[in-house]
Amino acid sequence: MSDPKIEGLELKPGFKGMASDTASDQTMFKGVHWGKAMMWIFLLSDTFVFSCFLISYMKGRASTPVEWPNPSEVFALNAFGVPVPLLLIAIMTFVLITSSGTMALAVKYGYERNRKMCGWLVLATALGGLTFVGMQAFEWSKLIHEGVRPWENPFGAPQFGSYFFMITGFHGTHVSIGVIFLFIYAYKVFAGHYDNGKKGWFTTMKGDYVEIEILGLYWHFVDLVWVFIFAFFYLW
Amino acid sequence: MEETKKNQESTTHKIGIYLWIWGLLFVLSFFSYMVDWYQFQGLLRWSLILFFMFLKAGLIMAFFMHLFWERYALVNVLLWPMTAIACFVGLMVAEGKYTLFSRLFYFFIGGQ
Amino acid sequence: MSEDFKDKNIIQAQSSETISGSGSGVSPDMDYVRPAEIPEQDLYHGHSFITKWVFCQDAKVIGVQYFCLATFTGIIGLILSWLMRLQLGFPEAAGFMTAEHYYQFVTMHGMIMVVYFLTALFLGGFGNYLIPLMVGARDMVFPYVNMVSFWMFFVAVGVLLASFFVPGGPTGSGWTLYPPQAILEGTPGSGMGIILMCVSLALFVIGFTMGGLNYLITILQARTRGMTLMRLPLTVWGIFTATVLAMLAFPALLVSAIMMSLDKLLGTSFFMPTILKAGEVLEYGGGSPILFQHLFWFFGHPEVYIVALPAFGIVSDLISVHSRKNIFGYRMMVWAIVGIGALSFFVWAHHMYVSGMNPWFGFFFATTTLIIAVPTAMKVYNWILTLWRGNIRMNTVMLWCLGFIVTFVNGGITGIFLGNVTVDVPLSDTYFVIAHFHMVMGIAPLMVIMGAVYHWFPLVTGRMLSEKLGKWHFWATFLGAYSIYFPMHYLGFIGVPRRYFEMYDSPYMTSAVGMNEFISTAAFLVGAAQFILIFNIVKSLKIGKPAGKNPWKANSLEWLTPSVPPEHGNWGERLPVVHRWAYDYSVPGAKDDFIVQTTPPSEVVHTKVEKT
Repeated sequence: MSDPKIEGLELKPGFKGMASDTASDQTMFKGVHWGKAMMWIFLLSDTFVFSCFLISYMKGRASTPVEWPNPSEVFALNAFGVPVPLLLIAIMTFVLITSSGTMALAVKYGYERNRKMCGWLVLATALGGLTFVGMQAFEWSKLIHEGVRPWENPFGAPQFGSYFFMITGFHGTHVSIGVIFLFIYAYKVFAGHYDNGKKGWFTTMKGDYVEIEILGLYWHFVDLVWVFIFAFFYLW
Repeated sequence: MEETKKNQESTTHKIGIYLWIWGLLFVLSFFSYMVDWYQFQGLLRWSLILFFMFLKAGLIMAFFMHLFWERYALVNVLLWPMTAIACFVGLMVAEGKYTLFSRLFYFFIGGQ
Repeated sequence: MSEDFKDKNIIQAQSSETISGSGSGVSPDMDYVRPAEIPEQDLYHGHSFITKWVFCQDAKVIGVQYFCLATFTGIIGLILSWLMRLQLGFPEAAGFMTAEHYYQFVTMHGMIMVVYFLTALFLGGFGNYLIPLMVGARDMVFPYVNMVSFWMFFVAVGVLLASFFVPGGPTGSGWTLYPPQAILEGTPGSGMGIILMCVSLALFVIGFTMGGLNYLITILQARTRGMTLMRLPLTVWGIFTATVLAMLAFPALLVSAIMMSLDKLLGTSFFMPTILKAGEVLEYGGGSPILFQHLFWFFGHPEVYIVALPAFGIVSDLISVHSRKNIFGYRMMVWAIVGIGALSFFVWAHHMYVSGMNPWFGFFFATTTLIIAVPTAMKVYNWILTLWRGNIRMNTVMLWCLGFIVTFVNGGITGIFLGNVTVDVPLSDTYFVIAHFHMVMGIAPLMVIMGAVYHWFPLVTGRMLSEKLGKWHFWATFLGAYSIYFPMHYLGFIGVPRRYFEMYDSPYMTSAVGMNEFISTAAFLVGAAQFILIFNIVKSLKIGKPAGKNPWKANSLEWLTPSVPPEHGNWGERLPVVHRWAYDYSVPGAKDDFIVQTTPPSEVVHTKVEKT
């Protein structure tokens, strides 16, 4: 967020600021909460996990001599008797972006110490995530019903099903974990743990609305991954 | 643990910026959906998909994840490792093509 | 020596007074260090035996736990290597061992030594113990997560060792676990063995991520007042960069473990091409084994540096302390560590020159591999220049450091051989490779570990290790290790392939039979020599000479704790304030030959210290 105020240290902007922050004592990321720095580094690591998955997918798809299934046909959904390509995926994307937006607002209201608003928005985010997971379950069951399996599928290269189930499954796991934490944090916001600085579980750190931002980072990351999955699995 | 209390007044932004980005994300998603709807093919399709993808990813990271407002020390630490990924991607593109070539060559052409 | 230290303590107290009294704003006082950005960390203090010693949140206890468990698995790896050498040197004496056993021992030896021993020992053991002390923090930033990290490692080791007892035994596909053979029938342990290996690796990665986040955030965000990144001891720099590598490289291992488990369990074909087995087409088809190799080595090459960089860092500190000189080219050393770390993500396929990958890759990877030799060579020069005209103490620690430099240069030079495609192709899969990587990432880091044990044992336990036993230990290990690996270069040159259970009467083996017996005998002796260390530790714990404070007269913060061994919270009442780097040894004009990091400038006005 905007630059913090630090006693006895003038923060410079831009690359000069980067050099002086890095060269200074105590902290490198000025004013960044430990948990937030940890979440960022974790997300960096997680980016590498998803990158490795997607790179494997790319390599597998690029090197198969069998034809790859056409995604806009495989993922089409019948609406009023007409097959609409990627209809469900479009709705899922819509839901996930919506929940990302509510999360961003929750973070904003959290920092404004608006407990009610923050709590409702976190709850809305959790419900959006839950809807997404539900729709993904529906999509999986539809594909399984059509005969798509991790080891084979009626549309073309068998690797299609393998990569699809693995990567969307891994993403779905991330969403599900996020939903669980969103519900927990919604409870914690409403209970006022961040207003009165109640200590969390397993930690001696005092509760603070920065935790909503940390959770938000995770949630936006999940959305970010979906952007890539959407592009590479459904559109490509 | 941290002096978050001190800098709390200065940390929030106007709600408009979030709503703008939110709207933009919907519009961009709609555009990338349209790429499929109109069945663009070939290089145009891929470049459009990648363009919208990176734009969306950039917006989410810059504004929803506040990277635009973070200090460069954090931003650079997060973005530089992506060069390793970029290298990996580039090499695997070449490798995928080579694997396909060797499969086609040795199984179909060279085998005869 | 303890009198000197008392003196320093007073100085430290004075400087802290001056600073805390100066209030806000810039003080004209030359000892001024700006106030703390972060309030003191609130620690959980254990009360019962369980919270103090078992599920403990103190990084120092966790470090010792990591150290002990890693050493335990390391001893298992050592025993496996004995069994392998027994088979290779004296096949008639190893009648109980089948080829399957041999491959299982090879695999488990490799995986245990690289991941569960060296990585866990350097990052989990030394990292946990030294990082908070050296940066001047009270503990790791997330003590609870840190504790869970160790217990994940514990479970991972348990799962790994459990694979010895499942039907089919542990996997025998080599530590690289290459598919398709790793999961196909006919390879030992292709059933439960490989699955348990994948599960164990996944658990290790998860556990390590928890620990790694702690190390990184502690170093970046929880340093004490005055401690800039460029004042950190090189040990911390080495562990830091290695942790960054681990955070970014382990994902590739996790992904390949997940994908291989799916190939095994669900029948997907990520890595499995169409396979004919005894005239029958298997159900697999269309996958790419090369992809696994890329993923594995995208992890595997940084892994080499995950082991090497902490060793580089630690040895720099040990050499500096025990030759009473500042490390030569500190900044160059830091940038070399960071540069090696960054480059290590761009060299991975030099392990794959003969794999059938895109042949053009050889150019790219040979070039990057040779570039990475530059910062590495810079480090070697700097170690030697640190020793140059230093006031060298020829104690056990220094011997291990010198042993490290020799073995590392030896292994590094053979690395340059293997980095070139044309030289690598004939040498691939021979004993030359075995000799190379055991020299460079087996023996060399091990030398540093031993040196570090002799160096920091007084800090951890308050007692000195026996120098006499230590010297015996060193010479037995050093000469023995050379007797093992030096002849292996020759074996490689005459073409003896690695991973062969038995050579029978192959023509190139007839000249090497005697050599194999010699190597095996040396291996038994070197392995046995390690028990000197264990005996030394047990003996010194009971009747070792009390170390007192700062027995080596070192500068870095870990020796400046109010109590030795340091207690939970490390620093007593007040955190230390740092005024200089950790390398002010033999400064002209100074009273002593060392100026600890907490000495303020006003105490040493007549000296010629570098501005750091």
